[in-house]
Amino acid sequence: MSGQNQTPFFIGYLPIPHGLRLFLVVVSGLLIGGFAALALAIGTAQGNPGTGDFQWGWGPQEVTGRLEIRPYPLLHVTTGSKHIPAGRTLLLSGVGKKGVRPRVAKLDGRLVRLKGFALKRGEIDALQVGDNNKAIVALDGKAPAVKVEPLGRWRLKGEICDGKCLAGAMRPGRGLSHRACANLCLIGGVPPVFVSSAPVDGNDFFVMGDSKGNPLPPEILHHVSVYVSLEGTVERRGNIMVFKVDLSSLKVL
Amino acid sequence: MSVKYSPVQWTQSKLFYDAIALALVVAYVLIYLRVAPTFTGGVPSADGAIVRARAFGTCAFLLLTVILCIGPLARFDRRFLPLLYNRRHLGVITCLVALTHAAYVLNWYFNFSSTPRFEALLTSNTSYGQILGFPFEAFGILALLALLVLAVSSHDFWLSFLTAPVWKLLHYAIYPAYGFLVAHIALGALQSETNATFAVVTGCSVVLVCRLHAAAAIHETRLARTATVSASQEDAWFAVGKLTDFEEGRAQIRLLDTGERVAVFLHEGHLAAIGNACAHQNGPLGEGRILDGCLTCPWHGFQYRLSDGCSPAPFTEKVPTYNLRIDGEVVLVDARMNPLGTKVDPVPLPLVTQGAGA
Repeated sequence: MSGQNQTPFFIGYLPIPHGLRLFLVVVSGLLIGGFAALALAIGTAQGNPGTGDFQWGWGPQEVTGRLEIRPYPLLHVTTGSKHIPAGRTLLLSGVGKKGVRPRVAKLDGRLVRLKGFALKRGEIDALQVGDNNKAIVALDGKAPAVKVEPLGRWRLKGEICDGKCLAGAMRPGRGLSHRACANLCLIGGVPPVFVSSAPVDGNDFFVMGDSKGNPLPPEILHHVSVYVSLEGTVERRGNIMVFKVDLSSLKVL
Repeated sequence: MSVKYSPVQWTQSKLFYDAIALALVVAYVLIYLRVAPTFTGGVPSADGAIVRARAFGTCAFLLLTVILCIGPLARFDRRFLPLLYNRRHLGVITCLVALTHAAYVLNWYFNFSSTPRFEALLTSNTSYGQILGFPFEAFGILALLALLVLAVSSHDFWLSFLTAPVWKLLHYAIYPAYGFLVAHIALGALQSETNATFAVVTGCSVVLVCRLHAAAAIHETRLARTATVSASQEDAWFAVGKLTDFEEGRAQIRLLDTGERVAVFLHEGHLAAIGNACAHQNGPLGEGRILDGCLTCPWHGFQYRLSDGCSPAPFTEKVPTYNLRIDGEVVLVDARMNPLGTKVDPVPLPLVTQGAGA
């Protein structure tokens, strides 16, 4: 009590008492120093978002290939560009959080020429198709068939993401803090993908569809970005893997 | 104190306080955005908007932690009272930092969609029935709304308009705001982090805030227990203490059975009792000092005459006075407070006691 009574009395509209000045300077210094240290500690502890990114430096890409729209629009490239060789399979999306299904619905199995900007993350290739009318051109000529290789039935553990953000449209493009963004992408028609914790035939990234190879129902949005296990059949189409899932097998882990 | 209206009554202390608060924010954000990346050894960084959202979000959380620690610290050590003095400005700065975080999130995660951003914020994730994947943004929205209400109502206009008790009650919303913010972080950012640093910082913040408040509550309860006085007779007179308990220029604070606190001061050999709650923000007048003949509140320097509980002209604030009497060695206070502005002649100490005290 007596110690407290000896404390210099501070009144805001009067000069700070001499006895308090050193204390306040020390507290201010500790606060600023503490905040600086925490900024460094928290700032350097951010997770690695991976190498996925828009390949703006490549410029607009123009590629030709066979278009598939089930379960989600893909392009199997037959005539590529300097950066996208023939034989690659591209996940397709529109500008922003949009898919391209409405624009390519009548072009399933056709030879098309697409123009847009590429996204790349490891072995994942994606194309953000431009908004203008010339970005999607149906071509005459036969589209070569794509080899489909069934790889059997699998139970996989991992995370459902949207293919565009995962490919590098956002960094990080996965995880629970990205969930709302992923849902918006999926609602907009961007292909959902499954990132498995264990690879299948060397691949840990799968385009998803339902057990019949159709788009996933909206209920899937409740399980995006959550660690889950799913059963279904896996097949290789061109150089991309498709996971046709049995949604009744979904378990949150 | 001033009777002339001005939006903010700047003082040297407030300027110093705000400069330190801004220095905290600037140092934190600049180091987070500019210095930290140079220590990551070439690891790819997240998108600029996301990093900025993280910088401002974590900064707001730390500022809120500081704000919540000031109150209990000031209870234990009065040297922290200057930090309490301008805490409202720190709250407004925290709100602005949190708004910046929200703007980055809204314009990044919820942009580029055909769904309008605010609609997307509320509709893109509706999994309210699960913990993992819960729309943690909802907690962020609630925390931000609470901080906005606190910031907007922090001005003395609202304090005067709502009255101090209602205003104080409203500003207890700082606690749910902190709770919402912790839930926002725990169900959002921490679920995606692989590094434990921010989880440890968040945990330390929660432990610090909870322990300080628990310790302050225990401290206050003990004080209240020892300071509570009850009527010894059927009338309303309560024993405050012995004459020798009083020290010149200081008060004995007692909690009456009525729930009111009374501060009994000894000043220039006379005893006077007034309500302990300052009319401004319910600051503890009994912990104040007497300057220029007036009791001065330790929080914001509001002043009152001990004889009638009124602020000196031209100010108009008033606190109640209480009647006192001395019965032998014991000082008694009448629990029935006088109407505001009632003048009560201070009770002189018996000469023997004054001599002993000197």
